[in-house]
Amino acid sequence: MKFHWFAEATYPHLPDDFPARGLSSWVNTPTELMDPVKVGETYRMFIRLMQQADRDGFDGLAVNEHHQTPFAMTPSPNLLAASLASTTENAAILIIGDSLALYNPPTRVAEEMAYLDCVSGGRVIAGFVFGTPMDSVFAYGNPPPELRDRFHEARGLILRAWEAKEPFAFNGKYTQLRYVNVWPKPIQQRPPIWVPGSGSLETWDLVIDENYCYGHLSFSGLHSAKPMVDAYWDYVAARGGDTNPHRMAFTQLICCAATDAEAEAKYYDAVRYFYRMNTLDPKFTMAPGYTTIRSQQAMAAHLRNAPNLRPEDRARAQKGEMSFWEYDEKGYIIAGTPQRVRQRVRELAKDLRIGQLIGCLHMGDLCEETAAENTHLFGTQVIPHLRDLWADQPDHWTPPISQQRIAARSSAAPKNVFEAAE
Amino acid sequence: MIQSRMRLGDFDVRIWSGGAGPPLVYLHGFEHHPGAAPYLQRLSGDHQILAPEHPGFGASTGFDRLTDLQDLILYYRALVEGWGRGPVDLVGHCLGGMFAAELAVLAPQLVRRLVLVDPYGLWLDDAPLPDPFLLVPAALAAVKWRDPACAARETSAFDPALGDTAAEFRTINLTAASKFMWPIPDRGLARRLPYLTAPTLVIHGDADGLTPPAYEAAWAAALPHARTAVIADAGHLPMVEAEGAFIDLVEDFLNEAPWPRVPE
Repeated sequence: MKFHWFAEATYPHLPDDFPARGLSSWVNTPTELMDPVKVGETYRMFIRLMQQADRDGFDGLAVNEHHQTPFAMTPSPNLLAASLASTTENAAILIIGDSLALYNPPTRVAEEMAYLDCVSGGRVIAGFVFGTPMDSVFAYGNPPPELRDRFHEARGLILRAWEAKEPFAFNGKYTQLRYVNVWPKPIQQRPPIWVPGSGSLETWDLVIDENYCYGHLSFSGLHSAKPMVDAYWDYVAARGGDTNPHRMAFTQLICCAATDAEAEAKYYDAVRYFYRMNTLDPKFTMAPGYTTIRSQQAMAAHLRNAPNLRPEDRARAQKGEMSFWEYDEKGYIIAGTPQRVRQRVRELAKDLRIGQLIGCLHMGDLCEETAAENTHLFGTQVIPHLRDLWADQPDHWTPPISQQRIAARSSAAPKNVFEAAE
Repeated sequence: MIQSRMRLGDFDVRIWSGGAGPPLVYLHGFEHHPGAAPYLQRLSGDHQILAPEHPGFGASTGFDRLTDLQDLILYYRALVEGWGRGPVDLVGHCLGGMFAAELAVLAPQLVRRLVLVDPYGLWLDDAPLPDPFLLVPAALAAVKWRDPACAARETSAFDPALGDTAAEFRTINLTAASKFMWPIPDRGLARRLPYLTAPTLVIHGDADGLTPPAYEAAWAAALPHARTAVIADAGHLPMVEAEGAFIDLVEDFLNEAPWPRVPE
C-alpha cells in the first residue's frame, strides 16, 4: 500500500462570517478577501511540509489544479510540482492532475510533465483530469459538451508526443500542429497515468480500457464513498478489468496526535474551517452536459444508497456542525493516536479496496506546527505498519525509482519488532 | 400542425409542420422547441410551416456530427433545400435567431425574408448579457417575462412518453444550446452580418431581460437596411406575451409589397 501527502492549498484567512454572507468559495469569490503576501506565506508552508513528507517516508507528494477559488489556490499544479521536483529525493511527484482541456496547445502538458520527470529523476505520476465544472466550464469557459472530447484529443496528443521518435503532424478537431517534437521527453518514457473521477461511467470505461489508476477524490470519507466505490469495483470486474487495489486512489483527511484528546484540541477548528469555508454555489456545480444523463442517474442512485450517511449528515458536515468525533465516526476524518489511525486506515483500505491513499495531512487553517507533527506521526508511526497491505500485488501505478528508493530507505531504518508483528 | 420525423443524412429530427401558403421555416430558441404552439398554428393559417427541432435538442439526433456552428448551418441549408419549396420565409427566435441569420448569410438564395425575434448572436462588452445557464428558475423567469404569470401559456415539445423527465429534457436541450452559447453567445456573427442581403425584420420585446434594449440598438446598427420593431409589454417571448401584436408584425412584413434586397 502506498501513501501520498496532500493538502488543498486553502487560503487560511477568510473571515469567520464568510459562509453566513452567502459567498461562494468558487468562481466568483471576492478577491478583496485575499492578501497576496499571506498567499505567498501559505505556499511556502506547503512546500516545506511536502519536503518534510519526503523525508518522513511518504510515497508521493500530491499537487492538484483548481481555478478561481480560495479553497485550493493551485492554478498550475506543475508550478508547485517544480518546487518539489528539485528539492526532494524519494517520493513520487503526484500531479493529480493537469486539466487537459485547459492547456492550449496540450503539448504544454507533455513538455512540463517531461521537465518535471527529468528534474525529479523519473518520479512523476501523470494525472489527467477533466476538472470540476467550476474549473473547466465556468472559470475556463469550455462548452460543457465539448469537455470530454477535448480531454481525449489532448490525451492522445500528449501520449503520442511522449512516444514519438520523430516529429509528427497532429490534425485534431481542437488542436492543429504541424511539427510535434517535444523536448524534453520524460525519463520514464511514459509516466504512470492516473485519472480521478466523481462516478461518471465514461471515466470508469476509460480507466478500465487503458488500465489507468482511478481516483475517488472526495473529502467525505468511507461512508459517503462506499456505494460508489463498490459499484466501481463491480463495474471493473464485470468488464474484466484489472482489480489490483494499487489502481485505486482515495483521499482521506488525517488528524494524528499523541492522544485522542490532543487530536480534538489541535484539529477541530481546522476541520470545521475546511468544510465550512468550502461553500459551493449549486449553480456552479451543475453545467448542462458536464455529466451525461446516464452517469447522473447512476451517481444519484449511489447517493441514495449510502446507508451510513444521511443527507442531513452531509449538510451538517458541510456547515461545520458536527462534533470532532462525529466527523471521525462518519468517516470525514480519521483522527487520534497513530495506533488508532493505523487501525482505521487499514479498515478503510480493505473496505474500499484502496492501494493508494492520498492523505490530507493539512486542512483548512491548520497551523504549520501541527501539520508538521501530523506528517511526522503518520510517516513514521502509521505508514510503516501498513506496508503489508496488498503487498502480494504489484504496483504498476507509481514510479519504479520512487518504489526502490523508499523501500531501500525503510529497510535501512530501525524497526520496532513488537509493533511490526501487529 | 402535426408532429413527425425527418431524416437527413446522420440527422434524425422531430418536426412540426402544417398549414398552406408560402413556405415558412421557424427555428426555436435555446430552451426548447415550442411544439404546436398557438402562434405557429396562427401563422399556419397563411403559410406552410416547417418547424424543426435542433439536432441534440429533445428527441432530435445528430448533435455528435456537429463540431462547430458552420456544420449546423450547412445542415439547415440541406434541410431547407430538401424541403423543396424554394426560397422560404425564415423566422428565428432567440438562439434560433442566430441560426437563421447565419443561414441567410450562407444561403441567400434560400431565404426570401428573414424575421429575427429577440435574437442571440451579438455581444456588447458594455452591456454583458445575463448568463442563461446560471439563472435559477425564479431569476430566469424575472428576465424572460414581462409578466412571469405568462409562463403558464408557454408551450413545449416535452413529451413524458419518450422516457425523459422534465429535468432531463431541459438538461438535454441546454447541453446542445451550450455548444453555441457557452461561455458567451457570440460565434462571430457580427463579422458576417454585412453579407446579409435578405429583407429583414428584427423584433424585440420591450421588457426582454435576456437580450436587453442595448441589443436592439446593436442589431439596428449591424443591419442598417433592416426594419426593427419593439413589441410593448413583452419579454423574451413576445409571441407568447403579445401574440396578436407579434402575428400582425410578422404577417405585415411578410405580406407587404416586394422589398428590394440589399444591394450587394
